[in-house]
Parts: sequence; C-alpha cells; structure tokens
Amino acid sequence: MKKRLVSAVMAGTMVASLVACSPSPSAPATSESKAPETTAAAQDAPQESTAASADISSEDENTLTVYAWDKNFNIPALEAAEADYQKNVNPDFKLNIVEQSQSSDVENAVTLAGSAGDYSTLPDIVLFQDHYFKKYVTDFPDAWASFDGADINWDDFGAEKLSYSTIDGVHYGMPVDNGTVIFAYRTDLLEQAGYTIDDMKGISWDEWLEIGKKVYDTTGKYLLSMDGDGNDLPYMMLQAEGVSQFKDGDINLTENETFKKIVDVIVRGVQDNAIYLANDWSDYTDQTIVGDMVAGVMNGNWIIPTIQQVSDNSGKWEITSMPTLEGNGKEGFASNGGSSLYITSNCKKLELAQDFLGKTFGAGSTETYDAALKNGGVITCSATAGKSAVYNEGVEYFNNTPVYAQIVEMSTHVPVVEQSDYHYPTRTQVAAAIQNIISGADADASIKDAEDQVRFAMQG
Amino acid sequence: MNSKNKETSVLAKQHRAGWFFLLPATILIFVLNFYPMFQAFIISLKKGSPAALQWTTPIFNNYTRMFQDKLFIRSVGNTFLYLLIQVPIMLILAILLAQLLNNKDLKFRGIFRTMVFLPCATSLVSYALIFKSLFATQGLINSVLVNLGIFKENFNFLGTPWSAKMVIIIALIWRWTGYNMVFYLAGLQNIEYSVYEAAKIDGANGWETFWGITVPLLRPVIVMTFIMSINGTLQLFDESVNLTGGGPANSTITMSHYIYNNSFGQGVGNFGYSSALSFIVFIMVAVLAYINLKVGDKRD
Amino acid sequence: MTKSNEIKVNSSAIQRRLIPTYIFLTIWCLFSVFPLYWMITAATNASIEVARGKIVFGTYAATNFKNLLAAEPLWKSLANSFKYSIVQTVLCLFICSLAGYGFELYHDKTKDKLFGVLLLAMMVPQVATMIPLFRMVSNAHLLNTVWAFILPSISTPFMIMMFRQNSRNFPIDIMEAARLDGLSELAIFFRMYLPVMKSTYAAAAVISFMNAWNSYMWPKVVMNTDTSAMNMPMLIANLSAGYTVDYGQLMMGVLFCSVPTMIVFFILQKQFAEGITGSVK
Repeated sequence: MKKRLVSAVMAGTMVASLVACSPSPSAPATSESKAPETTAAAQDAPQESTAASADISSEDENTLTVYAWDKNFNIPALEAAEADYQKNVNPDFKLNIVEQSQSSDVENAVTLAGSAGDYSTLPDIVLFQDHYFKKYVTDFPDAWASFDGADINWDDFGAEKLSYSTIDGVHYGMPVDNGTVIFAYRTDLLEQAGYTIDDMKGISWDEWLEIGKKVYDTTGKYLLSMDGDGNDLPYMMLQAEGVSQFKDGDINLTENETFKKIVDVIVRGVQDNAIYLANDWSDYTDQTIVGDMVAGVMNGNWIIPTIQQVSDNSGKWEITSMPTLEGNGKEGFASNGGSSLYITSNCKKLELAQDFLGKTFGAGSTETYDAALKNGGVITCSATAGKSAVYNEGVEYFNNTPVYAQIVEMSTHVPVVEQSDYHYPTRTQVAAAIQNIISGADADASIKDAEDQVRFAMQG
Repeated sequence: MNSKNKETSVLAKQHRAGWFFLLPATILIFVLNFYPMFQAFIISLKKGSPAALQWTTPIFNNYTRMFQDKLFIRSVGNTFLYLLIQVPIMLILAILLAQLLNNKDLKFRGIFRTMVFLPCATSLVSYALIFKSLFATQGLINSVLVNLGIFKENFNFLGTPWSAKMVIIIALIWRWTGYNMVFYLAGLQNIEYSVYEAAKIDGANGWETFWGITVPLLRPVIVMTFIMSINGTLQLFDESVNLTGGGPANSTITMSHYIYNNSFGQGVGNFGYSSALSFIVFIMVAVLAYINLKVGDKRD
Repeated sequence: MTKSNEIKVNSSAIQRRLIPTYIFLTIWCLFSVFPLYWMITAATNASIEVARGKIVFGTYAATNFKNLLAAEPLWKSLANSFKYSIVQTVLCLFICSLAGYGFELYHDKTKDKLFGVLLLAMMVPQVATMIPLFRMVSNAHLLNTVWAFILPSISTPFMIMMFRQNSRNFPIDIMEAARLDGLSELAIFFRMYLPVMKSTYAAAAVISFMNAWNSYMWPKVVMNTDTSAMNMPMLIANLSAGYTVDYGQLMMGVLFCSVPTMIVFFILQKQFAEGITGSVK
C-alpha cells in the first residue's frame, strides 16, 4: 500500500511537470536561438521564452545584470556608472538593472538560491546592505566572487566603509554610497531658541538635551526624531563613542556602561520632548521630517533627499557632526546603513564585472559619482571623487554650504567598531527595550530582556 | 448473466471515472501542499545555514527551544487575542447585517449589499496602507476626534500597544465582515419564509426567532465561517507586517509574522526554527478546526 | 380600492419600522466605503497633502499618473496580473470543479475520507511550505513563469469543497438519463454539469480571481528576478518602498490595482450570490 502511494505521488509529480512544461502557449519556437540583435525585442519577449533557463545572469558578452532597490537613490547611481563606462571604455556595454522593492528582496534571493543549492538564479552583481554581508558570506560562501586580482586602489575609500565588505583581507564589495551620519539642524529654529549651528558642534548629549528642551518650548518642534521600532539612535551614538553592542562575537549590553548611558540619554530625550519616536519608517520620514515636526535630523546622509522634499524650508538647514557623551569639543562621527556592490559566483564575465566596477565606482571616476550625486543624491566615500568641483559647490538648500564635501571629510573620522551578523535583530530588541523603559519598565530588566532575546537568536 | 456482467462493468467504469475526476486535484494537493509540508518537517529538525543544514541535537531541539522564546510566546498571545476579540465581533456583525439585508421590504438592497461587500475586493497591500494613513498621528481620524473635542490632542494610535491592536482589529473587521456576510445571506435565503411566518403566528419576537430559527438553521454556515476565520486569524500576516510592522515594541506581532522574521525578515535565516514554529501553528489550526467541527455537529 | 389603500398604509408602516435598519446600514456602508473614497481622493493629491490627511479631490491626478507611468511598467504589470489571474482562475475552476464533481457524485467511503485528508491542506501555513516549494519550482526551472505563479493555487481544498457542496443540488436523474443516451462520464461533465453549475462557477471565479490578483508573497519569491514578470501588488510594493515615497503616485497605483477586482465583482455579483447560496445548503 505504502509503495503504491509513493509511486502514485511520483507519477503525479511527473504528470504535473509534464502539464507544466508542455503547453507554454506563447513561447516562440525560436526562443532557443537567442539572437542578440535588437535589445528592444529581447526585452519585450515574454518571460516564457526565458523559462527554459532560470539563469538570469546575462548571456550577451557586453551585458551585466544587477539587482538594486531604490529608483530615486542607488539606481540612478548605477545608470550613471553605465553611461560612464559606455562613454569611456566600451560603447557596446549594457547594464540590465532589475529593480527590487526593498533591500531584503536581494537578501531573500540569495537565501532562496542558497537553500535550493543553485546560484544560477542570481544576477551578475547585487547591491547588498553592508550590515548583512558578513552573515551572507558565512552562510553562503559559494555565492560570491571576490575582487582578487583586480587593479583597484582601495586606499581611496574610507576604512570604516571597507571594513564591512573585506573578509580575511579579501575585498568582496565595491562601495557605492556613504553612510556617514550627519546631524542637520534648522538654523532658523535654533536661532529662535537662542542658538547657532556652531553651538551644536562638539557638545555633550546632556547639553544637547537642554537645548532640545528649549527648542521644543519655544518652537514646538522636536530637535530629533527616529523610527521607534527600527531605532538606529543607539547604534549611531554608540559608534560615535567608538563602542559596539557586541564583544568578541557575543552580545554586550548589560555589562556595557556606555550603552546604558546612551539608552538613558534617549529615554530622557523622549521624556523632555527633545526626541520624538515615530511608529515606523514611513511615519518617521513622512510625518516627522516631511511633515515638518522637527528642528533636527540625525541619520545616514542618504536621508538628505527626504529633508529636501519640503521645498519651503530651503536655505534654513545646515549640517554638523554628532554630540558625544563627553562633549567639551569632542565631535561624534558614525555611519549608518550603507550598501555596496558585490559580484556573485554566477557571473560568467568576472573580468568585465570587475573592470566595470573598478573603472567607475572604484576609480573615483568623477563622471560616475558626479552624476550619481546629481541624479540620486548618492554621496561617495571615495576621497578622489569627493574632491571634484560638484562636491565643493555650495548647496542652496543647506544655506549654500558645501555639505557634500563636508560629508566626505567627516567620513574619514568614523571609528571602526565590532560588527555582527545580528545587527538588525539587536536593533529590534534594543528598540523594544527603549520603548518599554519609556512606558515605565525598569531599565536594567528591559536591557537584560533584549540581551537574552538576541542571545536566544544567536544560539539558533 | 450477460446483462449482469455488463452492469458491473458499467459500474466499474463509473467508479473509475469518479477517481479520474478527482485525481488531478488530489495529486496537485499532495505534491504542492503535503510534500512541501513533509519537507518542512524534516527542515524543522535541522539548524544552521540554509545552504548547509545540519541535524539538531537533540533531534527535537527546535521544538523544545520555542518554549523559552519570549517573543514567540508573545506572538501566540497576540494572535489569540485577535482571534478571541475580532472573530466573534466580526461574525456577529456579519449575521446581523445578513439578517437586515434579508428583509424583503428593504429598499436599495442591492446597493447596500454591494457596499458591504466592497472592502474585500481591495488588495491586502492597499488596505493596510489606507488604514495606516487614516490612523496616523496627523491623520484623518485624529483631526476629526480633536475637532469634535473628544480628544484634547492628537493620539498616536499605532504607537500605543493597546490602540495599535485595536486598529488591527478594526481593519480586519472592515475587510472581512462583508465577505462573511455573503455566506450568511446566502444561507438565510435558503430558509423558507414560511418558517418565519409560522414563528410569527406563534408570537415569537425578533430575538426569539433569531436564536430559535436563524442560528440553528445557519449552523453549518456558521461552522464553516468559524473554521475559515480561525484559519485566517491564526495565519494572520499582512496586517501585522504592513499596518504596524509588529510594533510598537512587538506588541502586535503575529505568529506568522514572527515565523517570517525568522526565515526572511531580518537577514538571519533560521529555516529550521521557523519551520518548527510553523508546524506548531499547523497543529493549532487543525486542533481548533476539529473542536469546532465537533461542537458544531453536536446537536445534529 | 380599499385593499390597495390598506397595502399602502401597511407598507409605509413597515418602512417606518425599518428606519433604524436604514440608519444602521447607512452607517455601516459609510464605514466600509469611506477608506475606498479616501483612496480615490488621495490619487488626485500631491504626496505631502496625502501624508497630511487631505480628504477632498485635488488637482494632481494627471501628475500622479504621469509619474507612475514614468516610474514603473504599469501597463505591462497590469497585463501580467490579468494573464496570471485568468490562467489561474480557469485552471483552478477546471481542476477543482472536476474534483468536487467526482467527490460528490461518485462518492463512497474512501473518497469521503480522502476529502477529509485534503481539507488538512487548508491549514498548512503558507510560510511553512514556501521554502520547499521554491526549491521544487527552481529545480523544475520554472522561475519567472506563469507556472511558478499558479502552481500552488490551482488546486485548493476550499474550491474543491465549494464545488462538492454545490454539486449536491445537481440532479442525478439527468446523469442517469444521459448515461442511457450513451454519453460518456466526461461528456456528462462537460455537457450537463458545466451549464447547470454556472452560478457556482461564477462565485468560484470571483474568489479565485481575487486571490490570484492580490497574491503578493509567493510571486515575490518566484518572480523577483525579472522586472517584466511583475504583477500589480509587486508594483505597489516597489512604489511604497525606498527612502522616499510619493504617496499620490502610490495611491494612483493602488487605484489601478483595486479597480479590476471590483469590476469583476460587479459583473458577476448576481451569480456570485447564487453560487455561494448553493455551497451553504
């Protein structure tokens, strides 16, 4: 009986796959002979024609396929690089950008391919979040190709940025953007409370809290806001102190005095109306920033296009570094949420991919980076590119200060701290702990809960 | 003799035809539901990178582990809270609406019915977006409540644990009441009008006819909608992800959302553990559906 | 004369008694339609106005539409959504009605037990089977095809159950008569069963079409490597992600995603109600 059942199931599978394969109705008979003539026709060809080979890394010798996820940010940067490479190296070159709705789609694609044991579903290049990369190299060592042997001047990039994508001295990632944290303030609102942008530089968090209270009392605006569920404040503030939430690969919260002090600053900030915690990411960007609830924004510099959405406030913003616990002129520098381009093991044109990335993003090519900045607001972490004229122009929105050059300069000061595969689970747990403390829970107990939960995940 | 032979062969042919009709569907369900479920069970006994899974020691470690997982226990609590509050409210409202719409004297019945059903034609992604905007701190509900003087200042609905849960429940009621109403309405239309006439003559009031006639006659439909709702609520996912993101501080996260976070959500794919969790959800749904069937059939 | 007068009085008295019903239904209808109204107005407003909760019609409809066309392959995705949903609905209806017919009209103890087993599949959480299913689809080299999209949903216990229930109304005498006329079992299904069960098919079509149209998680897993295979919910997800979201444009997309299912429902509304009726007998 059992045997018969098994064979019935087997037969069923075969029938199903026959049914599934044969009547692919609109698949043209000519799909085998993929003539690389008119690309337009190739693009219009229905997806059935590519069904036979799930492999989407491009066939054509001059084409590379890449996954990226933000058409207002990193996709324009990739288009800039494509144009640059076409103009200066290979006029036949083509970059096929496949848009994903969010960064996690790319991570899921790698996870799924890895779990199926078949990386042929991956494109040639993927844009990947820096914080995740190490975990994905550990979990899927066969998914990646390195930049070994490529002629690239890595010293041009900030050390902190490269620390995410370099594993045992081998470079895997090509930096695109720059996650350096800026603290942007509305100078007009500061002025109403009796301060200038220079008063905000090199101060301690305690002094900052005093100012925040005053700004709220005089203007009704919060000096800082953040997504309460995906709270990046603890990470950024801790990095500015040169401290990590991790120690030797383990979570380190309950024994971490700096961490506790920072949590305390955030909790007091919320209680004093200096800091506002939004419900989620869109609440943070759309209500607090675009909705004009704040007098200050602290985040990775990719937040700038969001600030600029409110055109009424042009000329009123300026940027500076972060406060620190110590103050007394000590400025804080951190980095949050950048991404880099990685070549997958499915790329059959490794040399082309390395050459393309090396001669555009890797060579500090001003053509690529200038266009990326203009069209997408992507700021480089390449020192060479940061010296270009475009970077040194004053930006009208920021009161004609050269913010982009300022950011590239700031990026050289960001301290390298221990990173972990569990960066995001930790962020979630710490965010929950902070919300619980604000609603009255005991601080030490909440922090211990967060630590326990992260450790639980780590033991998986 | 001959004709008898012929008869049995015809019957055999019919018998074979019966199996032939249900074979494609059965095979597809076995291959595409049960076989993956079996594989998921194997994965649930493993741990490590999705590319190189290894057996856990002891073998049921992923299952014993979940009892120490405070977040999972919390997600179970949240899900059952939705189940206990939302499902009864929704089904009672649905029966009530169906009862009202079943009145032959009611004008504009078609329009009312369409409008009540309309919410479930909107896509899940969009309805979460709509509710999120409506209940935002600066959103419409707040402006109305503040202008009416009910609230002194804008209230952060999605940022406060109890009200975030409430918003999810309201959203669920909004989307699914009409859907269930259609089933009840259909069931009511099968009840002969004369039964009600007779009850009226006997002097029964509306309340008594409702409990004495409508509910017993609708019992099969009620059992079916209950099972569908239990199933849907225990697998609740989109609302938790899109409406509240499980927050604030995980106070609205559902079991399915937590399972998803364990395999895809946060960059650390733990397929073994998440498969174990989904197996537990499967067992919960099956047990509840079984109890429901037993209770529903009791008086038959 | 008097009689008709009496009826008139009577009916106005009935209407008066129904006033609370009208009030309740009107309130409920406002509750259920308002979010949809808001969706439509939002599609005509600029992003900032939407974020600030404006609820009257604005002047940005054309701009939002233009931006949407520039940002995403709207027509292609709409066409994809129609293609996937229609293929899935047709196949699902065929396979499940065949099974429902077989389970009910040829039923015996074994088949009833098998049906009970199949019902269990309704309780299998989608997240649980996603990973093994992906492996199967990937190994069969079906990623990015319509087959990947439809395979998990063309045979569902719910649909089989619906057809099985409805088949109880199917007059068995017709079958016997047809058999005497020499029709084969399959011919009976096509020539007798299909036309008689029209309204059940309509109800099943509405449900299946809506499920296929709104399906998001699974297509995202099996079709995300090819922008030209994207369906409408994936397009909306693309619009709502990213560092900055244009809400006017997003709502315009949501509108395009919602209207087709509503149209399908409007067209099949009457048959839908009838079809469901049969299933709850």
